[in-house]
Amino acid sequence: MDRGKLESAALLLTIAGVLLIVPPLVQIFQWRQRLLGVPVEVIYLFLVWAGLVIGARALARRMPHDPEPPGEGGSGQ
Amino acid sequence: MSVLSADLVIATAIAYVGLLFLIAYMGDSRTRSRSGGFLRSPFVYTLSISVYCTSWTFYGAVGSAARSGLEYLAIYLGPTIVFIGWWFILRRLVRISHEQRITSIADLLSSRFGKSSRLAVLVTVIAVIAIAPYIALQLKAVTSSIQAIAGTSEFSRGRLEGIDEVGLALGVAAGMALFTILFGTRNVDAKEQHHGVVAAIAFEAVVKLTALIAVGVFVIYIGGGLEEIFSNAEQTGVDIYSTDTFGERWVAMNLLSFAAIICLPRQFQITVVENSDENHLRTASWAFPLYMLAMSLFTLPIAIYGLVAMPAGANPDMFVLTLPLSAGQEGLALFAFIGGFSSATSMIIVESIALSIMVSNHIVMPIVLRWAADKRVGDGRGVSQLLLSSRRFSIILILGLGFLYFCFTRDSDALAPIGLISFAGVAQFLPAIIAALFWREATIKAATAAIAVGFIVWAWSSFLPSFETSSPTVAAIMAQGPWGLSWLRPEALFGLDGFDPLVHAVFWSLFLNTATLAIISLLTNQSALERLQANLFINVFGRGGRGQAFMRGSATANDLFFVAQRVLGDERATSIFGQEARESGRIWSNLEPTPAFIGRLERELAGSIGAASAHVMLSKVVSGDAISLEEVMQMADETQQAIEYSLKLEKTSAELRSTAEQLAIANRQLREVDQQKDEFLSQVSHEVRTPMTAIRAFSEILLDSAELQPAEREKFISTIHKESLRLTTLLDEILDLSALERGERGWENQPVDAEAALDQAVHVCDALARQRAMEIVFAERAPSATVAADPNRLSQVLINLINNAIKYNGAENPVVTISSRIEGGFYLVEVSDNGPGVVKADREKIFHKFYRGRRIGIAQTGAGLGLAISREIVSRMKGSLELVPQPGRGACFRVMLPLLQVGTVAAPGPSKPIPPDARRSVDAAPRSLSES
Repeated sequence: MDRGKLESAALLLTIAGVLLIVPPLVQIFQWRQRLLGVPVEVIYLFLVWAGLVIGARALARRMPHDPEPPGEGGSGQ
Repeated sequence: MSVLSADLVIATAIAYVGLLFLIAYMGDSRTRSRSGGFLRSPFVYTLSISVYCTSWTFYGAVGSAARSGLEYLAIYLGPTIVFIGWWFILRRLVRISHEQRITSIADLLSSRFGKSSRLAVLVTVIAVIAIAPYIALQLKAVTSSIQAIAGTSEFSRGRLEGIDEVGLALGVAAGMALFTILFGTRNVDAKEQHHGVVAAIAFEAVVKLTALIAVGVFVIYIGGGLEEIFSNAEQTGVDIYSTDTFGERWVAMNLLSFAAIICLPRQFQITVVENSDENHLRTASWAFPLYMLAMSLFTLPIAIYGLVAMPAGANPDMFVLTLPLSAGQEGLALFAFIGGFSSATSMIIVESIALSIMVSNHIVMPIVLRWAADKRVGDGRGVSQLLLSSRRFSIILILGLGFLYFCFTRDSDALAPIGLISFAGVAQFLPAIIAALFWREATIKAATAAIAVGFIVWAWSSFLPSFETSSPTVAAIMAQGPWGLSWLRPEALFGLDGFDPLVHAVFWSLFLNTATLAIISLLTNQSALERLQANLFINVFGRGGRGQAFMRGSATANDLFFVAQRVLGDERATSIFGQEARESGRIWSNLEPTPAFIGRLERELAGSIGAASAHVMLSKVVSGDAISLEEVMQMADETQQAIEYSLKLEKTSAELRSTAEQLAIANRQLREVDQQKDEFLSQVSHEVRTPMTAIRAFSEILLDSAELQPAEREKFISTIHKESLRLTTLLDEILDLSALERGERGWENQPVDAEAALDQAVHVCDALARQRAMEIVFAERAPSATVAADPNRLSQVLINLINNAIKYNGAENPVVTISSRIEGGFYLVEVSDNGPGVVKADREKIFHKFYRGRRIGIAQTGAGLGLAISREIVSRMKGSLELVPQPGRGACFRVMLPLLQVGTVAAPGPSKPIPPDARRSVDAAPRSLSES
């Protein structure tokens, strides 16, 4: 993928992350029911969280590398 | 009976601190000897960022979960968003800070807004005040945890006997101060990086995570699994569902934690300043959210189980300790205590190092510089030493403030609300930081005013109310407002009543903050230096992102060396000047202070004392600064303008070029049309002339010769009649075609059964076919097809095609084959013959006006308008008419019409009367074809 698409994907992931954790979407999962013993909304939030981690990991490796700033590379110690 | 005594707990804590010190020491010496590759790994970096998870996370999150359910998650979801979106904010911050040698958040803002010392002071003061509650939280957590673990028995208090909570907190604060001073202020680093501290913090991150997970696994084990824990809680009446969680408070907390992970001085220190490789952010972007996820995985089960298993009135903030204790797991409890202690110490160490850098760089140094205006600061080592002592003093001050806050507010019970006060305080930097990164027009006056306004509103609506329990005056203000002004009540500002206090404070402070920033930026102008810095910040990834050097003047190398030596120390100054001497090829004493070199020196100094102080310091030595700065700014501006201008020119000329091209195309088309018109006219004249000549000739004969036979006379008259009929038909067709082409005639498509129209057309042509002894054969037929069409016009087209097929068929056994089918949403009719076919070159031309195909051996009749008209008609019905290539002899014409989807055309009304002109032309068409 080219740089523009990757940056768009990163932005999309970030925006999706925001939308999935704030109302109204998060309120959909308040079923007052339990899954594996745990309230559904808890499962939902942790799944979103894990999904974001996986997405970020997939993108982090692919994001383009910025050129190093010109001139002195790090202060000579 | 507990075997854990206070003495044992304190001894363990001190031993643990000793271990940390060892790690830090080894970390420092390893990086110095360049063998500490592991310490520079992205995972150590990620672990050190987890200094975000303080004892608030360790103890307070469980308390928060017990009191208000899932709310605690918001504290980790905001930072998760920041890290998965690292590309947009953190990456810029890190790059800018590396290039500009930024040392703190105050330095960042001051540097962006024209290296303003005033803004740096403001940010520093606000940060110190806003962090006090946070430090207090750690003191409170450590104190409570010591009491919780050691206070279980009368006899185990050991040396704590007779010491109350405040005394204990004072002891903790003093110990922490000592520890931090030993840890963080041993030397002044050129980049303000503390590798040893980072190593110790990373170690603590592992300890606290392991401890919390151990307690979590233990709780799930004794609770009998998740199912059991939640079922029991539900039965005993605990609300395990988050009924009211996801409201405005949830949003506000997410926003606050989003801001905090960027604006907290310690997070900025660890994430941005201590970052040694930009690519470490890639790993941290997913690994840090994963760490927080692991940290909060067991919080809810511990809280829920604690609510059921612990006696009513037990402090839920201490469940992590008290649950193992009540189950007799002394070892686990001690481990948990160390975990909590870890999270508190790492926070205090990094936070006070970060704050002390800010205080010494932005408050102490400027004062010293001013004081030293007339007499230069003593010997070379003075500044270095001064920096270190001012940092030590700052650390004591910061912990002292935290302790004071603790004393004043120790009656409030929960940890989490105290932390949120700090979060809301530092969040006031967020608008300015975002503007610094993305908004070129933001000005120093706007940023200063915005942060000040945000701070005042925060102090009034969030900080002040926390003293309600300890101060009657504050309580009165809370109830009635100051001087009885009820619209100024801290938790109902401007009459906005009935909101959660946190939401209320966050809304007003950030709203007024952002509004001030935006409005004042529009009303004020930037100075030259501000514009320069704004460009550097915003174009940080553009070409030549590095700061331009802008000072030149009368400084001598000696003056500069003296300054460098004072701040950076002998060794470092010598190395910088030595490098410059090597690069410029001059001898040391003859070194020319070029603008580039001065710029580099300023960045180096900024790494130690902050951008604003470095700038002030150098401008004292380098005179003529202001004028040359203006000059350079102007130059930079002119270059920028020139670039923009040439870009604009390029764009305009490209536009012009494309306009010219379009004009040329239009001109060519016009000429073609003109030529077509001429051709058309000459063709029409030609077509009209032939019958007219005949009519004229015959009528002249009739006029001249009186003695014609009646039979002959009749013959001539009938010829004249026939020719004039032909003329009329021709003119009708021309009129019809031009009306169609210009779209003059009202055209209404209605649902029509195309098969019926085809049958009708065949019926009409039947007579002609019979006359020529021809066969019309049907191949496959579509069952029925509804298309949107004008029925008369459709018949006209079909009749024309069939007539052509009959007339121009010179075969010995002439056959016309008609087939229709439905294919892919289209209705297709094909009319083919076995005649001579159409010459390849004529394939497209036969649809042109007046074009008669060269059909071998067949007399050409007709005006040559039939196919042109047909094609025009079919296109008006959104279909197409074409000659399809066919194997073997003959021509095959195909009409393709889109099938009508129900609902795409307005339902056919009561069948409309066919317009008279349409009827006429439909009548005319068959006639013209059959008669010619």
